[in-house]
Amino acid sequence: MAVQETGYRLDGGCLIDSHKPLQFHFNGKPMHGFEGDTLASALLANGVGLLGRSFKYHRPRGIYGAGLEDPNAMVAVRDAYGYEPALRAGQVRLAEGLDAHTVTGWPSVDFDVGAVAQLGMRFMKAGFYCKTFMWPTWGLYEPFIRKPTGFGGAESVKPRRSEQRHDACDVLIIGGGAAGIAVACGLMGGGLKVILADEQPRLGGALMRERVTINGRPGAEWATRQQAAFEAADEIDVLTDTIVTGAYEGNFFTLLQSDHHAGGPGQPGGLRSERLWKLHARYVVLATGSLDRPLVFQDNDRPGVMLSSAVGRFVGEYGVAPGRTVGIFTNNDGGHLTALSLIQAGLNVSAIIDTRRAPESPTVEATAAAGIRLFAGSEVVGTSGYKGLRSIDVAPISGGSAKRIDCSVLALSGGRTPLIHLATHRGVKPVFNPQSGEFVCPDVPSGWHVVGDAGGFSSFAQAMNDGLEVSAAIRTTTGVGPSSWNVPKLSALESAPSAAFWKSNAGNPARMWVDLQNDVTVADIELAVCEGYVSVEHLKRYTTLGMGTDQGRTSNINGLAILAGLTGREIGAVGTTTFRPPYTAVRMGAIAHIRQNQLYRPRRLMPAHEAHIAGGAVFEDFGWQRPDWYRANAADRETAVAAEMVAVRNAVGLFDGSPLGKIEVTGPDAAAFLDRFYVSNIMTLKPGRIRYSVMLKENGVIFDDGVLACIDEGYYLAGPSSGNAETVAAWFERWRQTEWPALEVGIAPVTSNWASVAIAGPRARALLAKLNPDVDLSSMAFPHMSYRECRLGDVAARISRVSFTGELQYEISVPARYGLDLINQLKGEGEALGIKMVGMEAWLRLRLEKGYLHVGSDTNGRTTPGDIGMGGIVERKSADFIGKRSLSLAFGGSDEREELVGLHAGQGRLAPGGRIMAPNAISAPCVTEGYVTSACYSPSMAKDIGLALIERGRSRIGETVRIYDGGGVVEAEICCPEFYDPDNERLRA
Amino acid sequence: MIVIRCPYCDELRHEEELEYGGEADIVRPAPPESISDEEWASYLYMRTNTKGHHHEQWCCRAGCSQWFKVVRDTVSHEIHQIMRLDGTLARPEEA
Repeated sequence: MAVQETGYRLDGGCLIDSHKPLQFHFNGKPMHGFEGDTLASALLANGVGLLGRSFKYHRPRGIYGAGLEDPNAMVAVRDAYGYEPALRAGQVRLAEGLDAHTVTGWPSVDFDVGAVAQLGMRFMKAGFYCKTFMWPTWGLYEPFIRKPTGFGGAESVKPRRSEQRHDACDVLIIGGGAAGIAVACGLMGGGLKVILADEQPRLGGALMRERVTINGRPGAEWATRQQAAFEAADEIDVLTDTIVTGAYEGNFFTLLQSDHHAGGPGQPGGLRSERLWKLHARYVVLATGSLDRPLVFQDNDRPGVMLSSAVGRFVGEYGVAPGRTVGIFTNNDGGHLTALSLIQAGLNVSAIIDTRRAPESPTVEATAAAGIRLFAGSEVVGTSGYKGLRSIDVAPISGGSAKRIDCSVLALSGGRTPLIHLATHRGVKPVFNPQSGEFVCPDVPSGWHVVGDAGGFSSFAQAMNDGLEVSAAIRTTTGVGPSSWNVPKLSALESAPSAAFWKSNAGNPARMWVDLQNDVTVADIELAVCEGYVSVEHLKRYTTLGMGTDQGRTSNINGLAILAGLTGREIGAVGTTTFRPPYTAVRMGAIAHIRQNQLYRPRRLMPAHEAHIAGGAVFEDFGWQRPDWYRANAADRETAVAAEMVAVRNAVGLFDGSPLGKIEVTGPDAAAFLDRFYVSNIMTLKPGRIRYSVMLKENGVIFDDGVLACIDEGYYLAGPSSGNAETVAAWFERWRQTEWPALEVGIAPVTSNWASVAIAGPRARALLAKLNPDVDLSSMAFPHMSYRECRLGDVAARISRVSFTGELQYEISVPARYGLDLINQLKGEGEALGIKMVGMEAWLRLRLEKGYLHVGSDTNGRTTPGDIGMGGIVERKSADFIGKRSLSLAFGGSDEREELVGLHAGQGRLAPGGRIMAPNAISAPCVTEGYVTSACYSPSMAKDIGLALIERGRSRIGETVRIYDGGGVVEAEICCPEFYDPDNERLRA
Repeated sequence: MIVIRCPYCDELRHEEELEYGGEADIVRPAPPESISDEEWASYLYMRTNTKGHHHEQWCCRAGCSQWFKVVRDTVSHEIHQIMRLDGTLARPEEA
């Protein structure tokens, strides 16, 4: 038996810098690599072949791809800037001090107890879990089954630095391979703003590893020169290390750009920060290239079996040999090209197994000339080596005895899969081209072009010619004039077409892996088809094919080709599953950006915020940071709230009402305009007077309430509720613009221009008088529901005498910058009067004692003016207003409507949300007839009071109802909502 | 992401800066009391729910606060036409 070989470092590798060595740890073992390495290439160079265990059967798995496509090499990584629990080794850039761990296998990836699952393999078929764990419920088993699955553990760490950038460009080129570079070359000098994004740290794509010369020099050299030229030009932005993660309507894209810092001796590095771009492009060039497709055969999952393109990349880009002896299994010339690169790098290619019976092309001739053994018309029918490949068994496809060939790496090339994900994000349906065996997108969204391999297999020369043509087309449409750039002279070996080959027909389908990450085999697909899961979307969900973190990049096409074969359909008729953004996983932190914790959303502070802090305010977010209660009034909330209420009832309380909406409505038609919104008659409102009213949506439901002051003829100040301040201004504006453009009216939302402070209580007038306003404060001259403008010292002030508390109350508004002074002055002057700062809770309880409603709490999505006792006002108004017609629809006149009434409980406690039980109900569950909308203990009434929406409530005053709340039942009596001072003597004082 | 150029302030705006206002050209019956309940209910609730070219209202919420009209393909989200409220066409979008 051959000795197991491991990977090692070669000379060369165009992406690494062998002068900059880096130290890192893998599973606790110190290792080293170079700047430019990925974790995958560095691990291979250190001879690490085994990287994980498979999902279901705990089979040993190794590196399979070189980048995002790898289904196997999942690792948890800690670097100098953070920790990530589930990355593919190929997407992790090596940095000094990196600490990587395998995330599968227990107790270790090398010795995995779970591997006994393999013994039970034939039992764990598709749908195993949902078929087996059915009794009594799946929920009983789920926690135990979920526990051993998944990758890595979450950890609370400091988030990585991230930023977001919004931008726009004329042309976005996605992919910086030969085709993408050609487009950029063709666009240079046209003055168009171009962004060229590529996932790799350097432009070049396949030019960096394949055997191609441009103008007589290696392709990689040419690509590097072009990149330098682009970077020197103002008009082209080269974004390397950047993945376009999503394509959206309007040619809008999200891009994720990574900023890696490799570090060096004594200076740990890692992924320093990320930048999420939100980019709008006029023209889009999809130059994403293609990905190698694997071939499916028995025992194809051993560590050492990998994609041919990955082997090519490891050797060409990172100077790493994945093993000493390489076998190649191919159905196209791609495998032969890889073989030539390996020979050139000094590796031993033990054989090429080509499914084509008699392949003929210059490439095939070249491998023959290099003396590589070719098995034409053959396939791999088996492999050996448990934790690393040792040999493969090769047999003619037509049948015959198998031959054993030693190799530690088997490179698979099953044709190319164009990377069309971004086009499909836009809803484009991929179309199968049976000639090339590829899904392509012939119809792309407007402004899009596809060049190179992304549009189906192309040679370098074709790709660059595509690129030139597209750049010329974009120059023509944008009118920037032609370019003089021409495709340089290329020389590369010509290739012959591939032969379709999806899976081997020899061997055991239960040991032929299609999806390596989720352990889906050919047998699973066969079973799914037997059970009727013949739609590709059903197949995916039933077998979990392609549902891993690799998003099925290596498994999808083979899976659906096998499904097509089993169901006797064309591959094109089976179709693909839907690709959705993001193209690859994006950290939540990069999306959330600064919108976390304290910065989750901006905090709105009232002008006198400092005064509230000084009073020991306990803030709550009501869209604004508002005091709920003040520690200066008591150490605990209930005591403080009670003290604040007592101050208002017996002395004076100060409440900061700055968020209260303020909208100035002006113009000759201002009254007529406002009259179309409020249910009350506005035309009769005289200057200096204030009216309370509500406004409706067109469906007749109450939308907001508030007071409206008439400052002068054609000059009004609307005061919508705090929460609706912006909404009501926008509502006014919309009707003005879209429905009544002929009305001469101007709308100015001025809420934040003013600080508004309410002083309420029997001593409010005395307090206001101390500020010496130049206005007569007597009740005769300045009665309840009136508005005055005056001066407080040098400051112009607006004073509304309205009441939310049931006491004598003034709302004093001064320009916002004087808010703090006003409050401090009121506090100082009020000290002798027993003033207290009053928070939201006390304020809302005071209004509840008065029986005033709070829109949104005491009304819901069905409440009409009639339901809150304003039916008479509506009746008396003859003019039309928004929502009026709806009140005469059948629902408005129904006698089952929930009406707002008061409730008072004898001994029991009332709480919002309690359901009013139907009169004949003994116990819950039962029919209910409404609910408690607000409730609290009322110090003035010495019992619990509340408001409730109850069916036919107003005709049931005096009735005792039973209220179900949180498991208990309380009794309460329906009453008129005006609990406190029903004759309004106090507020008119 | 829907991107529309506001026909009033002439700025290109992303959908998160805009407010969608539903179908355009819904005429408010006048006077409302002269029509039947059915007609009023139809004004309130019945919409065309078009698949394809849909005439709709948008507001330049984060910009100039003007409402305007747009013809949008509800399948592809392509914007075909942008109009001011008086019906005049805005300059056609390049690309």
